[in-house]
Parts: sequence; C-alpha cells; structure tokens
Amino acid sequence: MTSQSHRLTSGGLIDRSASLNFRFDGKAFSGFQGDTLASALIANGIKLVGRSFKYHRPRGILTSGSEEPNALVELRTGARREPNTKATTAELYEGLEAASQNRWPSLRHDVMSVNQLFAPIFVAGFYYKTFMWPAKFWEAIYEPAIRRAAGLGRAAGVADPDHYDKAWAHCDVLIAGSGPAGLAAALAAGRAGARVILCEEDFSLGGRLLSDGGTIDGVPAAEWLSRTLAKLADMPDVRIMPRTTLFGVYDGGTYGAIERVNDHLPSPPEHQVRQRLWRIVARRCVVAAGAIERPIVFAGNDTPGVMMASAMRTYIARYAATPAKRVALFTNNEDGWRTVETALGAGLQIAAVIDARPDISPAHRSLASKSAFPVLHGSVTGVDGGKDGVRKIAVSLTGDARAEVEADGLAVSGGWNPAVGLTSYHRGRPKWRDDIAAFVPDGAPPGMVAAGAANGDFGLSACLSQGFAAGAAAARDAGHSGKAGTAPVADDEAFSLTPLWHVAGKGKAFVDYQHDVTASDIELAQREGFESVEHLKRYTTLGMATDQGKTSNVAGLAIMAAVSGRSIPETGTTIYRPPYVPVAIGAFAGHHRDETFHATRLTPSHHWAVEQGAVFVDTGLWKRAQWYPRAGEKDWLDSVTREVKAVRGGVGFCDVSTLGKIDVHGPDAGAFLDRVYINTFSNLAVGKARYGLMLREDGMVYDDGTTSRLAEDHYFLTTTTAKAGLVMQHLEFCRQVLFPELDVQLTSVSDQWAQFSIAGPKTRDLLKEIVDPAEDLSNEGFPFMGAREVRLRGGLKARLFRISFSGEMAFEISVPARFGGAMARNLMLAGAPFGVTPYGTEALGVMRVEKGHIAGPELSGTTTAADLGLGKMMSTKKDYIGRVMAGRKALVAPDRQVVVGIKPTDKARRLRSGAHIIPKGQTPGPDNDQGYVTSVCFSPTSDQWIGLALVERGRERIGEIVHAHDPIRGEDYDVELCNPVFYDPDGGRQRG
Amino acid sequence: MSSCAILSSTIRMEGASVADFSWTARSPLEHALVAGTHGARGVEAGVSLTEIRNFDLIQVMARRGQGAELGKAAKARFGVAVPDAPKAVQTSDATLIWSGPDQFFVLSKGGKHAMQTLAPALSGSLSDQSHARALISISGAKARAMLAKLSSIDLHSDAFPVGAAAATSMDHTSVTLWRGGDRPDGQAVFNLLVFATFAESLWHTMLDSAAEYGVATGHSAELA
Amino acid sequence: MRIVCPFCGERELGEFTYLGDAKPVRPEAGASEDEVFDYVYLRDNVAGQTSEYWYHGGGCRAWLKLTRNTLTHEISSVEPAAGVGARQAVK
Repeated sequence: MTSQSHRLTSGGLIDRSASLNFRFDGKAFSGFQGDTLASALIANGIKLVGRSFKYHRPRGILTSGSEEPNALVELRTGARREPNTKATTAELYEGLEAASQNRWPSLRHDVMSVNQLFAPIFVAGFYYKTFMWPAKFWEAIYEPAIRRAAGLGRAAGVADPDHYDKAWAHCDVLIAGSGPAGLAAALAAGRAGARVILCEEDFSLGGRLLSDGGTIDGVPAAEWLSRTLAKLADMPDVRIMPRTTLFGVYDGGTYGAIERVNDHLPSPPEHQVRQRLWRIVARRCVVAAGAIERPIVFAGNDTPGVMMASAMRTYIARYAATPAKRVALFTNNEDGWRTVETALGAGLQIAAVIDARPDISPAHRSLASKSAFPVLHGSVTGVDGGKDGVRKIAVSLTGDARAEVEADGLAVSGGWNPAVGLTSYHRGRPKWRDDIAAFVPDGAPPGMVAAGAANGDFGLSACLSQGFAAGAAAARDAGHSGKAGTAPVADDEAFSLTPLWHVAGKGKAFVDYQHDVTASDIELAQREGFESVEHLKRYTTLGMATDQGKTSNVAGLAIMAAVSGRSIPETGTTIYRPPYVPVAIGAFAGHHRDETFHATRLTPSHHWAVEQGAVFVDTGLWKRAQWYPRAGEKDWLDSVTREVKAVRGGVGFCDVSTLGKIDVHGPDAGAFLDRVYINTFSNLAVGKARYGLMLREDGMVYDDGTTSRLAEDHYFLTTTTAKAGLVMQHLEFCRQVLFPELDVQLTSVSDQWAQFSIAGPKTRDLLKEIVDPAEDLSNEGFPFMGAREVRLRGGLKARLFRISFSGEMAFEISVPARFGGAMARNLMLAGAPFGVTPYGTEALGVMRVEKGHIAGPELSGTTTAADLGLGKMMSTKKDYIGRVMAGRKALVAPDRQVVVGIKPTDKARRLRSGAHIIPKGQTPGPDNDQGYVTSVCFSPTSDQWIGLALVERGRERIGEIVHAHDPIRGEDYDVELCNPVFYDPDGGRQRG
Repeated sequence: MSSCAILSSTIRMEGASVADFSWTARSPLEHALVAGTHGARGVEAGVSLTEIRNFDLIQVMARRGQGAELGKAAKARFGVAVPDAPKAVQTSDATLIWSGPDQFFVLSKGGKHAMQTLAPALSGSLSDQSHARALISISGAKARAMLAKLSSIDLHSDAFPVGAAAATSMDHTSVTLWRGGDRPDGQAVFNLLVFATFAESLWHTMLDSAAEYGVATGHSAELA
Repeated sequence: MRIVCPFCGERELGEFTYLGDAKPVRPEAGASEDEVFDYVYLRDNVAGQTSEYWYHGGGCRAWLKLTRNTLTHEISSVEPAAGVGARQAVK
C-alpha cells in the first residue's frame, strides 16, 4: 500500500480515523471515509486514470462531480462490474476495486494510442465517411473492430445480483440541490408548513459551501450549514435525500429521481436494494442545481493535471488532497481566483495566474505581489506534458509576446453554465445572458422555478436570497401560509468575466473530452455544412456521450457561432432531454425481473395441481396446469393423449376459473347483451345458457363465451381467459358511453368463483357423488345448455352449467373460490371409482380442435363471424356492435379465408401451426398463398395429427388436397381440407 | 357465504366402500403466508402484515337513477350514510367502503350482512365478492415506506386520514385501500382488498418490499 | 402525466387506459355504412385541444372524457361519461 503522498496533514471533510483500502488497476492504495475514488487517487498522487474514447489519449480527472467526462472507470468486479463509472462521484469504501478503461495492455502502455498518429482520419463524420463499403463488411468486420478499439468499458456479462426497487413520494415543494439556494428554499418552505423533499446528488449536503466556504448570517459557512441541517431535521415534513439525483421532469408535476442507496458499499446489506428509482409528485419544484464550471478549449487541454479550477479547490478544501504542488490558473473570470486563495491556504505554490481579462481587481493584484506569483494577461496556447501530467504551459500574452510557465497542475475556469437541464426538459430553450456569457432558464415546466446559480446568479448572497424567496413562494403557491421568516444573508460578491471559449494553438484542443471532439472537428462540420446545432451534434457526436455534454455543449456552440459568423444565441442550443445522469435499467425495472417480471395469477386449485405434479404454462398473467405427467410417460404427448382418452372414455376435469366472469344486473341486462353480442340474449330463459359472439365495431370478432341467465335481471357472462380484462373495459364503455339509457350494472366476479369443467361419458356418475341427491341431473331435469344453482352434498351451494367445450357430455361447476382446492380433491375422491383424470390446457386444446371449436388462434382480430362458420348467429332483427361494418363488401366476399379442418395425406406426418396453404401443384409464393394453419394437435381419437386452418373458400373445398408450405421449418407436405368438426359431428355425445 | 365454513359429508361409494370428504375453505394466502418474522433481523419489525380471514364482502351498485333510494335503504340498514366519496365508514357490525360512483362494499363477519340477508334489504345490484378478495391489514412504523413502493397515491396523514379510501392499483393489480382506526400505539393501519387470484403474487411483492424493514406476518379472524 | 378523476381525485397515468378521440358519436341503428365507417375510422389529427376517452380501470372503472392539448399536454377538463355509475341518461 502506498502512502497518501498528496494528502494535506490537516483539514478537509474526510474522516482520518476511518482509513479505507482500495485497488486501482490492481495496485493497492488507501484513502479515508469521505473520499471519492477521484479524491483518493489524487491523494495518492495518481494523475493518469484512463484513456480517451477515440484517440486513447491519456486522461486525468477534470472535475469533481457528475459532469466528469474523463475519469471513467470500471468499478467493482465480477457480476457487479459496472463500466463508465465516474471516479468523481464513486464513494470510496473498504475494498473498492476499480480498473481503468480503454487501454491495452495497460494504462501506461496502450497500443491503441497509435490512433493519435492517424488523427487526421478520425475527424468528425469519420464513421460515416469510412465504413461505407462494402455493406456486408459492417457487421462482420468494421463494427467488431471499432468496438474493440473504442469500447467504453466492459459490462459484467452476467445478471446483476443486486435488487433495485421503485417508490413514489409526494410533496408540496421539491428542491433539487442542497447548496445555499436549495437549503434556503427548504428552510423557507419548511417553516411555511409545506411538505418538502430535497434531493442532493452528493453524499454530503451543502453543495459549493463544502468547498468554497464563506460567511452566512455572520458565521462560517460550515457552522451555518450544520445549524441549518439541524433545523431541517427537526421539521417532520421535510425530507432530505442525499445520494439522490433528480434526473427528469414529466407531465403533471411528476419527477424522476435515482437514489444510490447502497452504491457506497461493496454490496448492499442483506434485504437492501442497490438503488431506488423515485417517482416524486410535487406541486412546486425549486431547481437549485447550481452551475457547472466550463473549460476553455486550448491545445493540450486534456493533459492529466489540467483541471477545472472549482474542482481543484474542492479536492484541496473538501478532501485535503492536492492535485498539484505548483499550480497555475488560467481564468477569464473573477471566480477562478478563489482557487489561488485555496491553494495558497493549503501551502501550495502558485506558478502563475494567466488571466484573459484586460484587468484584474486590486485585491488580486496585491495578493499576487504578496505571494510572489506572476499574473500574465493572456491565454494558454499549449501544454507540454503527457501521461505523467503537466510540465510546462505555453502562454500567449497580450501583444504577441509569449511566456512559459512551469507547473504540475493547471486550474482552468472559463466561467459557469447554469444547470439548465431540468428547466428545459419540456422543450424549453434557455436564453442567453451576456453579462455572464451563459444560457439561463427561460421559463420552466409548470410549477418549476430555478434559483441561485441554476438561474445564473452565482454570488452566495444572491443564492441565499433567491433560494429563500423561491422556497417561500413555492410553499405559498402550494397552499401553505405559514411564516417563512427571514432569509439568510451573506456579503455580495463581484462577478466579472470576459468571454473566452477557444484559444488557437498547435495540437488537439478538446471540446468534448468524453467523445474526443476537438475544436477543429467543429470547424470541419461547419465547412461541410453541418451548421445547425442539431446537425453539429449528430455529425461530430458532440455532447452525445454519457455525460451529455455537461462540460462541452456551450463551448461547442460558441465555436460554431464564431466560425459561422453568428452570435451564440443565434446558433442556439440542442433540445434537452432527460435523464440528467445515466440511470441503470435495473432501477427502471425495479422488482419486475425474473420470476417477478409481472404479477402472477393463480387458479383456486393451483396448489392442489402443484401437489399433483402438474406442469404449468404461463397464459397471460396466469399459471395454468398444462398437463399432469405420470410415471412412465416419456413425453408431454403421452400425458396429453392419456388425458384426452380418459375424458373421451370416462371422465376428467379441468380448472377453467381463468375465464372472465361478469355479473350483468338490471332490468335492461338482456337488451344490453343484445347490443354487445351478435345473437340475442333477451329471449334466453332463466336457467339457460347460450353461446355468444361479440364483434368489434369494425366487424371483426372480438370475443366469445357462454352467458347464462340466472334470474330475470341477472345474467352471468363469461369471456375468454385472454380477453377478460379487455371485455370488462369494453362492456363498461358500452354501458357508460354508448348506451347510458340502459339500466344495467356490471361487476367482475372472475375471482369469486372456482370453475371446473367435468367432461366425459361418466360425468353424471361422478356428479351424482358430489351433488345433493335431491338435484335432478337427468337429461330431462338438466338438459344441454341448462344453468342453475344446485346444492352439493354437505350443503355447499354451487352453480352448475351444462355446457361442453370438449364435445363430451359435460358440465361446468362453480363453487366459491376458497372451495376450489376442496372441489378438486373431492372430484378426485368421488371420481376414483370412475377413473377420474385431471386434465390440463393441452388436453383441453386437443379436444376443442377435435370438436372444431374456435379459440385464440382463430380469434385473431382479422376474422369475421362468417369466417369462423358462425355467420348464421348474426341477428338481422336488431342493432349490435359491429353489425354495419361486418356487412362491408370485403368482409362478406365469397373468397374470404374461412375456418376449415385439415389432415395430412400421410397419416404419420406431424402438422404445425403457421404453415401456408398453397393450391396443389403451384409454387409457394405470396400470389398463391390461400391461408394458413391456425391450430394443430395430435388427435388420440383420430390417431393422427389434425388441425384447423383459415383457407380461401375453404368450406366449399372439403375433400380437396392442398399443399402446406412451412418455410420457417423447411417443411412441405399435402393436407386434405375437411370438416372442422372431427369428433362427433352431430353432437350426440354432448346432448346425451 | 362465510368463507370459514367447513361442510362435511360422507359419500357412499359403489359397493361397500365409504369415503369421507369435506368442504374446507382455504384462503388464497394459505400457502404463501408463513406466520413469523421475515427480512431484516435484529430489529423490531417495521411492517406488520396480517391477513384477515373469514369475512363477508358484498358489492352493492345502485341501479339507474336509484342512487338516492339505495342510500336511503342502506342508511336504514346500517344506521349511517353510505360513503359517496372515497371513504370507508365503520358501523357497529360492518364497514362500508366506497368502490366507485354509486357503488360500495359491505364488509362484515358472521353472515350478518351476507348475500342472503343483504339482498332483500337493498334495492341495488348485489354481487358476492367474499371469495373474490383477500384482505390484508398493514401497519407498523415503516408501513408507509413499504406502501410507497406499491402504491402511487399519497398516504401522508394529511392526504389520507383515518377513514380515507381509494380504488387504486398496486403492482398493476386493482385494489381497494382504506385507512382503519389507528393502532393503540398511534400507528396508522391500512387495509387492503386484493383480487384473490393475485393475492399470493402481491403478498410476495409486499414481503420483498418490506424485507429491508423487517416484517411480521400472521393471520386473524378479526376485522381491523 | 396525471389525471384528476372526478371521483377518485388526482391519479397517475398508469391507472388509466386511453381509448381515443371522443368526438365521433356512434350512429343510431339504421345508419348507413358510410356514416358508420366515418365513426369507426375517421379521426382528426389535432394540434391543440382534443377530447379523448380514458378509462379509470386501475381505479373506480369510470369512463372519462378529457379535454387535452396535444401541444402542451395540458388537461383542461375531465368529465365523467354520461352513464357513469347510476346516472340516468335519456336517449
């Protein structure tokens, strides 16, 4: 372990009693609690932390926050390895492991840095211009090679072992940022009685106060900060959320925030999440997100050791880490000088201050003479240095003179850009302010206001007063009239700046560090006609890296403005879009992954079926028993065939509770059903069931099911499993919007009833053991399509429906859902003498195909009632949904594809759904495609594969041999078109 | 129909053999609910989840133009005005919970307001939902923190006081949520009706969401 | 996006389902094919105020008619459907 050679002996907001070990590129180092990875690396004298994206240039640490474009590392190892993590925001923890990116074989000796020699070809639009031809080379050769050369770190490649979750929060006033403006806003809003949420990206609260200090209300900033935090902590409705970035604003006052709950630990403690995605609903929002210091573009400005001036003093003041021993400052504004004061205070040498302004303040002049460092009026034109950092700085002085400054660190301040992201996310365009040479918010999404530095007012005094006023106003607007008290005060500070964006010089001058976009790339884009900022962005990829151009966009615009002879506001900005920082997809998924990807519905007999060893299938949200394997069965087909034979030869049962079930109440219930079904229900007798078919208004079939009349004003409607929710929604639309004059009420009772189909010739024998002997189950006493309440043995009441999907003598029986498990057990018990067999959805499907019943594959949304062979059900005596459109010429054309049965001419052949039907002897192709196979099964009853297909004029062509063409599986075979009802075509069995 | 009913019968089988079977109601949470403490250890459970078993739940909807009449009949039956906004009203032997415009739930125990007894007294459309829902009572110091992961609505005391109700969704599942009387220790109690077939899934989601706070689970026959 | 349900209060988008344009009115029985065709298929593509049907399926199951500005997303009114709850509508 190396000592912390660049750590000051005292000061900083680090806990020197908590030493932390960490590794960077395999080498052991130590830091302290309160460090970021970046500050710990600096404290250990590390300047080179990565290689750049395109040119593999050596890069160091540029900033101290989430705007960092350079210091990106792979953090953690194994399944938790996370590429492109900013060392400047990664909190140090014991055992942290990080690796530099984009280098091979090592950071110091990177073979790809030869890319720099080819720099002339890596210009803007390089990919568009170079990898054009031949097209097939792109995937095979160019892309993999480019990815190897330019990759931004490596993903873990295995599933993320951590958990994430999502939560909602609600408040009156949401505040982004805990700097002086944000804290003052929270204080004012909290005192007024508002519910406040304050989100702070950093793990420490205070924003620039942590680095820049100052005096507030007559006490040092640190003291004011701790007092203020204590006051806020005493307010029960003020919630402070550190490590939380507000990343987006959405309609209706909804905000997105990402909380890095446990990113500061090696792995989350047991039962805790790694990150939490917050959706915050706020009446008002105060954006006190501060400003981002911007670089000046000059040759060699990416040399390790060149650092933003504010970041340098953050490392010195907050982390007691010294990025350099001998510091030069290049500034065009007053604020940059603070770094000189901080560096001097820490005992560092000042090599020189290069100030681009024509004049500097007397105070600074006397500081320079007192501390004996030169002040050079001019600009930095080049940096002599490399992977070991800055050595010499070339300066061009006013009036053609040149100078050279020896320094190992260069602090740069080009002024400040207010963080205008949040305020601009609803397509807002910020406006230009000449006095600070920066874009500031021009309006904001409803309910939002910017305050302090985020609003372009950088002084501590202005931040405090604006933040306080914004917080008080927000609370008032949200309906809280409590007294906010008086605003904290601080002395005013001067802010003077002479705009300077780009210094001409020899060598690469970087605008966008992360994407390696240089000033000459922008000039080239302009020459090639990509002057619009949106074109500039896409052609050069300026601002399109993971940092979204936080340090680069404005400089890029300024350079474009200069070369195209326009002003910066005329050049304009690109559209701002969330998220403000990258958000892990895991956080958006939250709980919804793997087994909990979606909510799951279980049938009332589910756990009984589990005990039986059933194999389950996901159908929508449901888990349904697909078949019940038994010992000795070699595959699913064995099990399914046994189940079908058992039903056809004896008796079986199946849980069909997944059907949608709706109580339709009211005196107009019958009239209502007449309008939603194509057939008539108002004339259905009490105690009877009827099959019904619904259309969409465009005339296509929507859903089907049986509906029973249980009382004069009470129908019990069933839907398919798949459409249960949608049919309920559709019926409510009909009731509330289309037919409000009808007195009808709808209630979903899907979950109230456990429903079982009991089918097979021995059904009645079995039912007699379940149903009270007083109930008449004979064909006369309970005829086909009968429906009524019955008493079971033991007194339980059930609903019994004599309906059949299988084509057998069958009933469906409903009991209140909590008796569903008992019903399955009792059917097994009572049915044992008859060989009762539970069957799953596969056997159910086989029997419905054998019987020619339509289901999901035929209810495809493109079939009419007539296509399905149900055209005769369409009443001509009433209006109903879809009636008129179903009569359209194309929907009643004689050559429509209609449902027909198919069987292979080779009895041994297996059929598959999706095969195309082609007339015999013709070459398969779209011109002679006459339909396709919708459903197939192996029919134990026919002892061969059978199927249903939609075929042009199919019902007129029974007996014709056609060709089945299955290009996906590479199969071609002949099938015979036949009656879709393969089993018991006259229906004697189900009526018997 | 009370869901705890155990109805027994003896089936006389063909020949001489005799098999007993019974109608035993099983809660949709019976499999998933393992009474005890789960999640974070060494802390007092921040969330308490109690399934309430054995209740009658009837959904009542007014017929067209009959909202006032239904209200009158209900007032005669229960002695209180039926909630006409998202609220839950407690009577001596029932809870009336708003479930939508001109409709409400009657939650009770012991068959007193079950389908057979209620239907003649109320002039609306009634549907028995006693088996269609599971009822979960949620409390504890971290109840709101856990619910914030499931519910998009504001459960702060000012926004959701005792007696407030909501027809809303959790984990894409429709639920009815209302705030019962506070616990003796002053902590809020949230009652939740969830569709029976979704209950196990939501229960697991709740356990996951509450795990970091520690969660105590159990069941009770008493309405909160 | 949030919608103020007239019955439930302000709720998040996820509780609602969008149906579409509320302007077309279903023709009476006996309407011509052309009239029904227009009702089913023809929609204005409005830049500005539109009326839309939304269903509060994740809440009180009321059908709602919103007036919404497609340019600003601002919702200026939310009305219940004519036959919501027990409301009696005469046709």
